[in-house]
Amino acid sequence: MTIVRHTTKAAIIATAVALASNAQAFDPSAGTGKYTDPGITDKEIVIGLHAPLSGRLKGFGFDALYAAKAWYDMINKRGGVWGRKIRVIVADDKCSPTELVAVQKKFVTVDKVFLLHGGSCTHSAVAAQEYVTRNKVPYVMLNASGDSAVFPPTRYVFGAFGGSQRTVGGTIVDFAVRALKAKRIAYIAHDDNYGASNSAAGAFMAKKLGAEMVAVEKVSRKIVDVTAPVLKVRAARADVLIITTYTGPAALIVKKAHALGLKIPIVAAVQAVPIPALFAKNVGNPAAFTNFYYGSPLNDLTRGPKQQWIINMYKAAYPDRKPNPFMAYGVPSAQAVVYALMMAGPNPTRESFIDAMSKVNFNTGILAGPIELGEKKRDGHNASIFVKFDGKNHARMKGVYFNQYRGQN
Amino acid sequence: MTGTLILQGVASGLVTGSVYALIALSLVIVFKSTEVINFAGGEFVMLGAYVAMFFLVLLGLPYIIVVPVVALIVFCIGAAFDRVILDRVLGRHRPGQSIMVAMVIATVGLSFAFKGTVRLFRVSDNVRTLPPIFSTDPVFLGQVVLSRQDIAIFVIAVAVMVLLFSFFQFTKLGRALRATSENPRAATLVGIPVRRMRTLIWGIAAALSAVAGVLVAPKLLVSPDMGGVIILAFAAAIIGGFTNVLGVIVGGVVLGVIENLVGLFVSSKAIAIAPFIVIILILMVRPQGLFGGAAPIKKV
Amino acid sequence: MAAIDRRWWIGGAGLVVVAAGLYLGAPIYVLYVANLLMTYAVLAIGLDVLLGRAGQFAFAHIAFYGIGIYTTALITNNTSLPVFVGIIAGGLLAGLVGIVIAIPATRLRDVYLALATFAFAEAAQWVFNNWDSVTKGPNGLRISSAKLFGYTITNDREAFFLVLFITLLVVAATAFIARSKLGRAMSAIGDSEHVAMASGVGVQRVKVTAFAISAIYAGVAGGMFTLYQSFIHPDSLGFDLIVLILTMVVVGGVGSMPGVILGVLLLGLMPEVLRNLREWQELIYGLILILAVLFMPRGIWGLITDRRQARQARNPAARPAPVEDAP
Repeated sequence: MTIVRHTTKAAIIATAVALASNAQAFDPSAGTGKYTDPGITDKEIVIGLHAPLSGRLKGFGFDALYAAKAWYDMINKRGGVWGRKIRVIVADDKCSPTELVAVQKKFVTVDKVFLLHGGSCTHSAVAAQEYVTRNKVPYVMLNASGDSAVFPPTRYVFGAFGGSQRTVGGTIVDFAVRALKAKRIAYIAHDDNYGASNSAAGAFMAKKLGAEMVAVEKVSRKIVDVTAPVLKVRAARADVLIITTYTGPAALIVKKAHALGLKIPIVAAVQAVPIPALFAKNVGNPAAFTNFYYGSPLNDLTRGPKQQWIINMYKAAYPDRKPNPFMAYGVPSAQAVVYALMMAGPNPTRESFIDAMSKVNFNTGILAGPIELGEKKRDGHNASIFVKFDGKNHARMKGVYFNQYRGQN
Repeated sequence: MTGTLILQGVASGLVTGSVYALIALSLVIVFKSTEVINFAGGEFVMLGAYVAMFFLVLLGLPYIIVVPVVALIVFCIGAAFDRVILDRVLGRHRPGQSIMVAMVIATVGLSFAFKGTVRLFRVSDNVRTLPPIFSTDPVFLGQVVLSRQDIAIFVIAVAVMVLLFSFFQFTKLGRALRATSENPRAATLVGIPVRRMRTLIWGIAAALSAVAGVLVAPKLLVSPDMGGVIILAFAAAIIGGFTNVLGVIVGGVVLGVIENLVGLFVSSKAIAIAPFIVIILILMVRPQGLFGGAAPIKKV
Repeated sequence: MAAIDRRWWIGGAGLVVVAAGLYLGAPIYVLYVANLLMTYAVLAIGLDVLLGRAGQFAFAHIAFYGIGIYTTALITNNTSLPVFVGIIAGGLLAGLVGIVIAIPATRLRDVYLALATFAFAEAAQWVFNNWDSVTKGPNGLRISSAKLFGYTITNDREAFFLVLFITLLVVAATAFIARSKLGRAMSAIGDSEHVAMASGVGVQRVKVTAFAISAIYAGVAGGMFTLYQSFIHPDSLGFDLIVLILTMVVVGGVGSMPGVILGVLLLGLMPEVLRNLREWQELIYGLILILAVLFMPRGIWGLITDRRQARQARNPAARPAPVEDAP
């Protein structure tokens, strides 16, 4: 008898919960009057903002997200966009494809946001493409490269606001060949989607510039002993070593290259050297940096003079926090969102927002190149600078390098 | 030319293998004594590295003080885990029934608890290393080059293994510990305090892992996910024979060399799967490993 | 008889009401969560068949899940066959692979079985990540909408009833197996292999069968995944997921289906509860595992049944009258 009572009670409660949780369906803002899209009223526009805020990959998202939020807060303080304040709802997508889609489904169907802004890891950002396209919700990535979701471009997804992995691979080879006069390129990347994208771009640029990829080694993110790939690089008699791995393996590679007597220049991608001083300590031997360069999508060194204004903005918003090197990467996408909202006029819809985003072209004051989007171009940023690093001092190399590979792999 | 590649691959593999073996040693002594596979083995290594980092970097103390302190602290953590948690689980266990599920879950839970705790501290946000003990200056052995650091790690790993082997073989305490694992009931009858022995083993294994963490920090780099190396330690232990202390060094070295040879002659991508193929092959063909004695196959 | 019948009727009616309520009224996100939890339930029940009934420890479960996902996805992407063909194919392929590895693996003692299946799971993840031509490797595989007799499933709401149907099917099948001769043999092995062998149970054969069934469940769960998800990446098929499912089984109650389902609900909804403590989630999670092992060896369901038994022992009048159902 008790079981019967319990079950019935449970059923009634569950149904009530299910119906109540949909009470927002009766939210007056959705589909009333002049607003056909949810998440927008006369007073506010609602944005669902997400990034990895916990776990192993938290470093890529946490500061970047809060920098974007600080940007929105600053815009609000100046009166908002067309008189509307931007209201941000924050969520943790854990860099997981399933979690990111769940977060976005919640944003769209429960919180009823106007647009989605977030994602720091490509493979999770890509997972959203199907969902946002089917449901016609604009999705602007935060700092994710997002390669396979922006090449080929689709209407509802915008990404690569810090550069795509194609940018990373293409520019690094461009630099190696044009600035360092390399002809025989050795390239070490991961066996993940980043490695696939950046090495494809690297190979394309090498061919275009008449250089040869004499060794392409793909290693796992968890690799412990890098002897084999580095030995193969040495045996291939390369005249430059390009590294696009994450910082742990990169440090091990630089160390091993030095130990095995490799004297060729080494150029590392931005993901390999997020904090150069720490990287130097991890390698442990300043002699390994006699011929070492790293790339960056910024317009200056991470704490350089041109970056101070954005660092100050972050510190003003969060006085107790010290931003990590990826902080600034969260801002360009927020700048683009605001720019497009302004250009879309006083009564934006999701579609008119997208049309406005397709015309975005401005200088961020943070990155090496402009943010440029188009009808058929959904990757925002495509430039890099390079810095010579001797273990202690940084010397900015001349020039800004652009990637030309736009293929799909 | 290929000869040099192979020689270098083997030499570096010996060093990396000794890292695996050193970490696997803790797994083996725990398994020998308690039949428990410690899935948190890698996290004890990680804990040792971070606790050491605290004393070395934040407090600026020298290694000569830090190493024993770290060993002591982690010894207590390991012993506490055994006393508070494993003891209870074992106490509930009815003879003939497998306690393995509970043990695996308890140790997996411990690994998450350690990782989650370490991640709460900002210092763990970035990959780091410990202040160097040995220099990275190269030492040439013919065509092959190793760093002083490499050689030191190898020598220390082997020394620790020999020491531990002698401890188990020749000292009274060591023999008592072995008796406890081989036949707990007989050990109790003879007057050996079995429970206390087990706690001691866990403490020793934990301390060993922690010291290993300090030693191999420059090779693995210190991050909360550093414990992932445990998979390779498992492979080393399986190759050598999970119950054999000396076998572990052979297992580790074999694994380190195989990884490099696969990387050189198959592909760098394949390095990641090599340990698992090795584990599967050994368990299919000769589950007791090279030196493990009788095959752990059930007679059913 | 009559008492049991009434309970099932009321339970069934309750389920229908809840399901209808969700389908009609809940936002897509809630339906998504429901679909996900049902998928985890099938995974967890499958793991429990192996772990809870036959007492075998196996980390390979998520590899079979992956096989199910990729198989069903590839069939859906490349043919116009109705999706249940893909789901069945996924389940069968997973089961086949399960048998192949079970035959050698089940000869090993507990810990070695755990390690062998662990190695297999990691190797499988490597294959998913590197077999570019089939799985698209690290770029991940896009999954087209499932088709079913001219009807295309494009969102969680549309997928809901099919997912629910498969879940109920699985639950019924499990109940059936538990009562069957096979089920009793599995329980016997779970209690004590030596006794089982002595009483004539073909231990090796039963273990392999249990492995295969468990793998089929995981493969079918993979098929369910493709009904409402449009993307799969090898990173999603790693150690973290098997630990999650294992936790659900252990915290809920090893060996009992209602316990396992309870575990799925509790742990599946936990991230929502801990939303504001996201930095602490990993640590809390680890502590839950340790505490469960310490204090709830038979899970929460074990606690509930213990308390109910204790209450009935104290108050015989509350016990349901056993002789009510005269033939």
